[in-house]
Amino acid sequence: MARFSVPTKARLPSSLRVDSTNPAVVKSLGRLSREALISLAISWLDGDSIANAIPYLERRGDDDEIDLDDLYPACGSVQELYEYYAAMQQQKGSKRDVANRILEGDWRHGLSLYQLAMVDFYYLEEHPMSQKWTAYKILPLKPPTQGADDEVLQVDDKALNVPRFHPSTFLQSLQDQVLPDIKAHYHFHRPKDLPVLLLRIFVIESPYNSSLALSGTTNFTSSRTVYLAFPDGSSHIYITKSQSNGPTAAGESRSLQNLIVHGVPKALSRPRERYTLTPTSLTSRNLETLLDKRGPGRGNAAGGGWSVYASEKNKKSPLDAILPSPPLSRDSSLSDQNRKRLKPLDQNQRAAKKAKLVAKARFGDSGLVADGKGIERVDILLKDPFPAAAAAAAAEAQGQDEEQTNAPGEPSISARRRTIDAALRQAADGDEELNEPENPSQWRPTVQVTFQGNHVFAGIRQLVEAGIVDGERMPGWMTGEDGVTVGVVRHGRIRGNKGSGL
Amino acid sequence: MEGAEDKENVSPLDKEITSLKKQAANLRKTLKIECSTIISNPSIRDVLLSSLSPSKQKQSPTTLRPRKPKRTPSNRDRDEQRLLTRSKQQEAYDQQCLYRIAASVTAFKVRDPDPHAVDGGHVLGLRFEAMTRGQFLQPYYVMLNRPYADHRQFLRVHRHTVPPAIPLSGLAARYLPGPKKQQQQEEQEEQQAEGDSNSPSPLSYHLKQDLERFVKSLRREIMRYHNRLGVSADLRRSLGAHSNKDSNKTATQNNAIIDVSIADTEAKQIRLTWADERNGRLVMDDDGKVVKFVVFGATDGRDWETTRQLGDSQGRVEDVAKMLEEYASGTV
Repeated sequence: MARFSVPTKARLPSSLRVDSTNPAVVKSLGRLSREALISLAISWLDGDSIANAIPYLERRGDDDEIDLDDLYPACGSVQELYEYYAAMQQQKGSKRDVANRILEGDWRHGLSLYQLAMVDFYYLEEHPMSQKWTAYKILPLKPPTQGADDEVLQVDDKALNVPRFHPSTFLQSLQDQVLPDIKAHYHFHRPKDLPVLLLRIFVIESPYNSSLALSGTTNFTSSRTVYLAFPDGSSHIYITKSQSNGPTAAGESRSLQNLIVHGVPKALSRPRERYTLTPTSLTSRNLETLLDKRGPGRGNAAGGGWSVYASEKNKKSPLDAILPSPPLSRDSSLSDQNRKRLKPLDQNQRAAKKAKLVAKARFGDSGLVADGKGIERVDILLKDPFPAAAAAAAAEAQGQDEEQTNAPGEPSISARRRTIDAALRQAADGDEELNEPENPSQWRPTVQVTFQGNHVFAGIRQLVEAGIVDGERMPGWMTGEDGVTVGVVRHGRIRGNKGSGL
Repeated sequence: MEGAEDKENVSPLDKEITSLKKQAANLRKTLKIECSTIISNPSIRDVLLSSLSPSKQKQSPTTLRPRKPKRTPSNRDRDEQRLLTRSKQQEAYDQQCLYRIAASVTAFKVRDPDPHAVDGGHVLGLRFEAMTRGQFLQPYYVMLNRPYADHRQFLRVHRHTVPPAIPLSGLAARYLPGPKKQQQQEEQEEQQAEGDSNSPSPLSYHLKQDLERFVKSLRREIMRYHNRLGVSADLRRSLGAHSNKDSNKTATQNNAIIDVSIADTEAKQIRLTWADERNGRLVMDDDGKVVKFVVFGATDGRDWETTRQLGDSQGRVEDVAKMLEEYASGTV
């Protein structure tokens, strides 16, 4: 151990130990299940990680006496300890036993930062929804003009290079961005079932990178944890809100997030290649959703009904000459299954079937309850003028609208109003008071619609299928095809998000 | 009798059932293929057409459905009508397939289901075919719409299924600039023109939207991406086969490659891992030529010797596999 603690710019080493009586350590271990704790201990004793997770072993000479007061007598070797934990896997017991054994027995001299990072990642794997991720897009910047010193660089929308990410280089340059009065510990982790690389950044306010930084609980309460996720093969990055161990001062966690949002693009940049991060107004607890909407696949700009073009299910080789039954056909006329059904549908059944078909048309393969791509919260601000109450005019306009294909003038506006009216009536929460306007064409109330639930768009799809929301008149943003969770609606469309977000 | 044997014969019976089910599925598929072949036959279509025309109505039932004479004429007519529509659909589909086989980029029209969609929901769809190892993959789609009320002919990318490895936004900004940007550019150009008159601006070519060039360059990027993916897959396959073959003889051979993986979004970099924990990086350019090749030792920085040995014959990525194989077997 270093005898001196000199202020430095280096990062915190992984082997640095935090006292096992530290309440933050006890708390983070206590969040894990028994199985996770045991497999965690076993993985610490594994060959690769043992250097950063050295357990407390007995170094007893022959003449030393066994300490009878010791509740958890230390083992003699790592192998012995490994077998002990492996045996524990078979037994039953409470998780408190395991946690206590780890804290007061085998790692009584403290848990290293490496171990704490692993604890957090195990928790993240057990509770994948515990973090709220915000997706950012990495955009190339124009090269600076020669001579001009402090110009604000513009985003180069014509650039053809795709940003590349190399973990160790990234960490080195990120470390250069960290201020000297802050120390950070970094840990990379690759979850088993997601194509994403996670980086945990543990930040503590201290000028030292020795054990002095972590001694005492006062320092620890000022620590923050932030996760970064780098999806494979995608020019996006997901960042979580920072979490503190102690009471948070207002705006403090925000500033760390800002620090990271500013530091990450610098770390990604290389000489002659500069990047910037822009938020993409997509926030979710579900990493799978983010990987679907801002990930490596085809679904990034093909949400909602357009997902039929992105899904592998509808793959059809042109060499296969069998006429595909169109996905929305009322009856595939020549198949024998339909001939069996002789009973004609009554009106309700027909309406239900139609609603189902409309839902299929609007949502495609997205918005299914079981697809695991749920979004918990969608905020939409409606900036359209309040819809006119003239229902007759609207009905007239509908006829026109269907006849004239290109009617940019009034009919489309009233159609829009109609739909927003419907959307408001059917989808808005009851908390907005809608007063009768005096001048309907001028009045623009600020209406914010918030959808909340486990899987918002699956819920809307169910409403469409149940016939509560009129699927044909429903605006496109209600299908989630824009792939945003915060948006301002103008002219019935999400403003600023130009379709594909290009 | 069968009940007694039930327990013993569960597995053979199950096997038979599954095999029969498979057979039935195969037969159903064959039936579908036959159906579509028959229905797309021009002579069948002629018969259908003639059967619907009133003059030859009497001959049609015998030729088309000899087994079902019970049906009433109205029903028959309906069935034939349906057959005809089916035949027309099949014809259209056949044509689409033919175009898709012949041209790697095809266009189609889509209607945006969004009631607020711009331009009445008219969307132009572009379909980019991708192939790997003689098989058609799921095509990539780019949907274009016309959102600018004042500039009707201007297109914009509405939706697409192009993966992030392909710089679609850059290409769109180059070849499909919006009208607003165009005005800015024009102003810039005017300023430039004032500065040095008579010299034609290089920008002038990009001023108007050029869908053809957009499609050309996008197709090129997609093809390159797929070729790069294919090259690294080939590399993995050839080296993987090599190491499996030799695993018995020289299990501890240090120069054998144990892993080949793609290291970046664009699939331009290939990561190589040797059995002795050395690892290398191979960077290729757009056309598959090796640009850079680096080998790192297991512990001590760059392995200059191997880099020199392997990097001498810098050619195409396809040649690298052979070279690596030779290196592994010790002939280099």
